[in-house]
Amino acid sequence: MASRVVGFQKVGTRFLAKQAKRLSWNSRHFATQTDPPKVPIDRSELGCKQPPLSEPLPGIPTPNYAKVKEDNSQTRYTVLPNGLRIASETRFGQFCTVGVVIDSGSRYEVAYPSGVSHFLEKLAFNSTSIYSDRNRIMAELENHGGIFDCQSSRDTFVYAISADSRGLDAVTNILAEVVLRPQISASEIDVTRQAIQFELETLGMRPEQETLLMDMIHAAAYRDNTLGLPKLCPEANVQKIDQKLLFSYLKNHYTPSRMVIAGVGVDHDRLVESVQKYFVDEKAIWESNRDLVLPGSSKVDESFAQWTGGLVQEECEIPQFAGPSGLPELAHVVLGLESCSHQEPDFIAVCVLNMMMGGGGSFSAGGPGKGMYTRLYTNVLNRYHWMYNATAYNHAYMDSGLFCIHASAPPTHVRELVEVITREMVAMAGSVGSSELRRAKTQLQSMLLMNLESRPVVFEDLARQVLSTGERKSTKYFIEAIENISADDIQRVAQRLLRSSPAVAARGDVAKIPQLRDVQTGLMDPQGRIPGGRHRMSLR
Amino acid sequence: MAFQLVRLSSSTLRRLSKNANQAPLRWRSTSANPLIRDVNVPPTCVTALNSGLRVATEDTGAPTATVGLWIDAGSRYESEQTNGVAHFLEHMAFKGTSKRSQTDLELEVENMGAHLNAYTSREQTVFYAKCLKQDVPKAVEILSDIITNSTLGANEIERERSVILREMQEVETNLQEVTFDYLHATAYQGTPLGRTILGPTENIKSISRDDLQDYIKTHYKAPRVVLAGAGGVDHNELVKLAETHFQKLDNQDGPVPEIKPCRFTGSEVRLRDDAIPLAHVALAVEGCGWTDADNIPLMVANTLLGAWDRSQGGGANNASQLAALTAEDEAAHSFQSFNTCYKDTGLWGIYFVSDPMKIENMVYNIQNVWKLMCTSLTERDVIRARNLFKTNMLLQLDGTTPVCEDIGRQMLCYNRRIPINELEQRIDSVTAKDIMNVCMKYIYDKCPAVAAVGPVEQLPDYSNIRSGQYWIRL
Repeated sequence: MASRVVGFQKVGTRFLAKQAKRLSWNSRHFATQTDPPKVPIDRSELGCKQPPLSEPLPGIPTPNYAKVKEDNSQTRYTVLPNGLRIASETRFGQFCTVGVVIDSGSRYEVAYPSGVSHFLEKLAFNSTSIYSDRNRIMAELENHGGIFDCQSSRDTFVYAISADSRGLDAVTNILAEVVLRPQISASEIDVTRQAIQFELETLGMRPEQETLLMDMIHAAAYRDNTLGLPKLCPEANVQKIDQKLLFSYLKNHYTPSRMVIAGVGVDHDRLVESVQKYFVDEKAIWESNRDLVLPGSSKVDESFAQWTGGLVQEECEIPQFAGPSGLPELAHVVLGLESCSHQEPDFIAVCVLNMMMGGGGSFSAGGPGKGMYTRLYTNVLNRYHWMYNATAYNHAYMDSGLFCIHASAPPTHVRELVEVITREMVAMAGSVGSSELRRAKTQLQSMLLMNLESRPVVFEDLARQVLSTGERKSTKYFIEAIENISADDIQRVAQRLLRSSPAVAARGDVAKIPQLRDVQTGLMDPQGRIPGGRHRMSLR
Repeated sequence: MAFQLVRLSSSTLRRLSKNANQAPLRWRSTSANPLIRDVNVPPTCVTALNSGLRVATEDTGAPTATVGLWIDAGSRYESEQTNGVAHFLEHMAFKGTSKRSQTDLELEVENMGAHLNAYTSREQTVFYAKCLKQDVPKAVEILSDIITNSTLGANEIERERSVILREMQEVETNLQEVTFDYLHATAYQGTPLGRTILGPTENIKSISRDDLQDYIKTHYKAPRVVLAGAGGVDHNELVKLAETHFQKLDNQDGPVPEIKPCRFTGSEVRLRDDAIPLAHVALAVEGCGWTDADNIPLMVANTLLGAWDRSQGGGANNASQLAALTAEDEAAHSFQSFNTCYKDTGLWGIYFVSDPMKIENMVYNIQNVWKLMCTSLTERDVIRARNLFKTNMLLQLDGTTPVCEDIGRQMLCYNRRIPINELEQRIDSVTAKDIMNVCMKYIYDKCPAVAAVGPVEQLPDYSNIRSGQYWIRL
C-alpha cells in the first residue's frame, strides 16, 4: 500500500492542488478521510432490480396510442402591429420546434468588419438579461426536454429550439432573450475569439475543403459585394470585433420587420401570446440601453447582389487524409455560373437540372439511390479515373443564385479537370434524355418529401418561406411544379446559366489551371473546348 | 432505442445517414384514468408468421416510408477462417440477383427515387430501403430478391475483394474506428467479438462463393429475420408482402446456431506511432448485455459523462464534470462516452483524443470522475442526466428511417418494442443511489480494457491504470 500511495502522489502532485478545489471527493483530504468506500463482497446484488428489458415492467399504465389521421397540418399566420411576422403549423406529436429566422448574415456586412455574423452565430445562446450563463439556459431547456441550435447562412440567421410542446411559453422566452437581450460579455467574446481561431485552424488542417471553397466561389462570383462577402471571420478581424460593434449590428438588423417567428407542432394562439409578451412587451437590450451601440447611421445594406464573375485562387498545400487512405494529394476547383433567385419561376427547373447533374465522390459509400446515374457519375467519375470528386450545387438567394460544380483531382490533372467540367456545363444546354429527366424529377420529389419527414426541416422551410414571401407554399405545389418541368425548361435555364461570365475558385496546387478568359471562351464554344493546351480533347 | 445514442457497435454505422431527427412522442400523461396513459405515437404492430419471421411496423401515414430487414447475424457468428464473410455478403447484396442484373437493380432503385442501404455489425446485418409510400411493395420485393436470390457471381466476387480492401484502407485512416477495433481485440481476445467486422486481409483475399452461400444457409433463417417498417406503411399489407416474398427463407434447414459467450479480459494494447499528431485512447470496463435491466442506469451514467470537444469552449457550461475538468486543464481535444452492447456483454467507457503530453492527465481525470460516480453523486446531477438522456433519445426518433431502425434493432435485441411510457418509467426511476450501485458493480476496482493509438508514450502502465480504479486513503 505504501508504494501505491507514493505512486499516487507522483502521478497526482501536478494536479492535486488544483483539483482538490473542484472534485468534491478530493476535498476530503487524506487525513480527514478515514474509511475507504465500502465495497460489498458480492457486488452482483448491486444491480437494477427491475425485470430485463425484454420483459414488460409490471404496474405501469396501459399506453393509449395515437391513431393515424390524415395529414392535419394547418398553417396560420399573424402579423403584429410592429411588423413582426408569426407563422405556425400543427403537427402530429408531442414535440415542437420553435424558432426565429432573421434577414441577417454575412451579405449585410459591407459596412462592418467581416466576421460579425460568424461571431454572432458562435455567441448565440449565451448569457442574457435573465439567464446569467449558457448553463442556465440549458438547465431550463432540460426541464422541457429541449435542445437549441443557431445557424447562419449568407442571408439568414436561424435560432431554433426543439422541445416538449408544453414548454412553449418558456421556450419562446428563451428565444426572445437570446435574440433581443444577449449580454455579449467580455469573457464570452474572448471565448468566441478562441473558438473562431480554433475553427479557422481546424479548417486549414483538414483535408475537407468545402467550407473554404464555398466562401471562395462566392467571393469570385460576387466580388466585394453582398453574397461575396466572407462568411468565415478573416483572421485579421478576430481581435478587432468587439461588443459595441456587435450590438450596433444587432440594433440595425434584428428589427421586427426583418424577423419571422415560426413554430411547428404548436398552438398558434398560444405562440402569438408568448411572442407578444417576450418579443414585443419586453424591449431589446439595445433599446433600453443606448450606450451599448456606436453612434451613427442605422442603415442596412439593401443593395442587390451583383454578379461579377472572376477567379479566386489560393496556391497552398492541402492536407492529405491521414494514414494510408490511397487518396493522392488533391487540387480543388469550383466552377460557378449565375443561376436565379428562389423567387423566380426558373428556380424549380434549376433544381431539377442540379439533380440531373448530381455527382459525388468516386468512393462514396451507400447503395443504389445516391445518384449513381446522374451525369457527373456516368459522364465524369466513371470515365476519368483521376477525378476524385465531382458534385453539382445550387445556392439560391432572394435576388440571385449560384450554380456550381466542385471537382477535385491530383494537381497534374487540373487542366483536364477544368476541360471536362466545362464540357459538361456546355452539354447541359444540349439534348436531355427523357429517362434521365424523369429520374431527376422523381428523385427531387422524393428528396423533398423525405427531407420533410423531419420536423426541424419543416420549421426551417416554413420560416424561410414566410420571411421571403409572407406565406408557405404547400408541398403539393412544389411536387406539381417539379412534375411540370420539361426538357425545354432544362435547356432554357442551362442556356441562361451559360450566358453568365464564369466564377472560378481554385485551391491547392493549381498552377495548371487555364486562364479565366479561356474558360469563358470554352463555355461559349458549342463543344465546350477550351483554347490552348495540348488539344487532348481532339483525340476524342 | 437509445443505446445507440453513443455508439451501436464499432465500424458499422458508416453507411447510415446521420440526420438527427425527431419523432412525435409524448411522455407525460394528461389522461384522467391513471391506468391508461396517452402516448402520442402510433402503436408498433408485431406479427409473427408461421415461418417465424416477424413483421413489425409503426404506421404514421407519412408520404414516405422506410422498410428493412434486420437479421440476427453478424461477424460474431464467424470463425477465424470465415471472419469477414458477413460483411462481404453486404457488399454482394447490390451486385445482382437471378432476376435482376446489377444495372437493372440500380436503375430500378434510382428511377423510384428510393435509397437502398446495408450495414453489418458484430451481431446484426441490416438491409433497408427508403422510398415513397406507394413504392413499398416494390421495395419489399427488391429486399427479398437481394437476400434470397443474390447471384454471387465469380467476377463480382473478385471485383468486390479489391473494393473491400480499399474500404479497409479507408477504415484505417479513421483512427477512432482503429482504436475501437483494437479495444475489441484486447477486451474480447480469443473470442469472436475480438475480431473485426471486415476481417483480415488474407480472408478477404480467400473468401469463396461457398463460404458466402454457407453463411446465408446457416444464418438467413426466417426466425432470425425481422421485417420492420415505419412511415407510410400498412401493417396488414406488409404482413401479406412478407408471406409472399419470404417463403424461401423457410426452406433453410438445420438448427439456428447457438452463440458462445464471449469472455471479457481486462488488458491493454498500444500501437505507438509518433508520426500521428494526436493520441487516440479508449478505456472501457465490461458493461452488460442488451436486455440487462442495468443498462438503463448505465446509460444515465453515460449521459453524466457526456461528450465534449474543443469547439464547445469552456466546459464550465457543460453538465458533465469531466467536460469541465477537461476544458480547464486543456487535457484533451475531444472525448465521448460510449456504451456498446452485445447479447451477453458490453463495453462501457470513454474514448478521447489528446495531445501526447496530456494523456496521463486525461486518464487521471477520467478515473477520478469514474470513482466519484461510484461514491458521491447528487440527485440533482442524476435528474439532469435523466432528462438529457430522454431528450437525446426521443429527439433522435425523427423521420421514418430512425424509427424503422429503432423498431428493427429492438425486435432483435428484446423481441419486442419497448413502449415509450415504459422506457420513461424505467429512466425516471433511476436514482443517484442506483447509479452509484451499478457503477460500484461494473467500474469500481474492475480491470479495464485499454486501447491506445498514436504518440502514446505517456499513457501510464497498465498496473498504474488498474490501480486508478479504486481509492486508497490513509
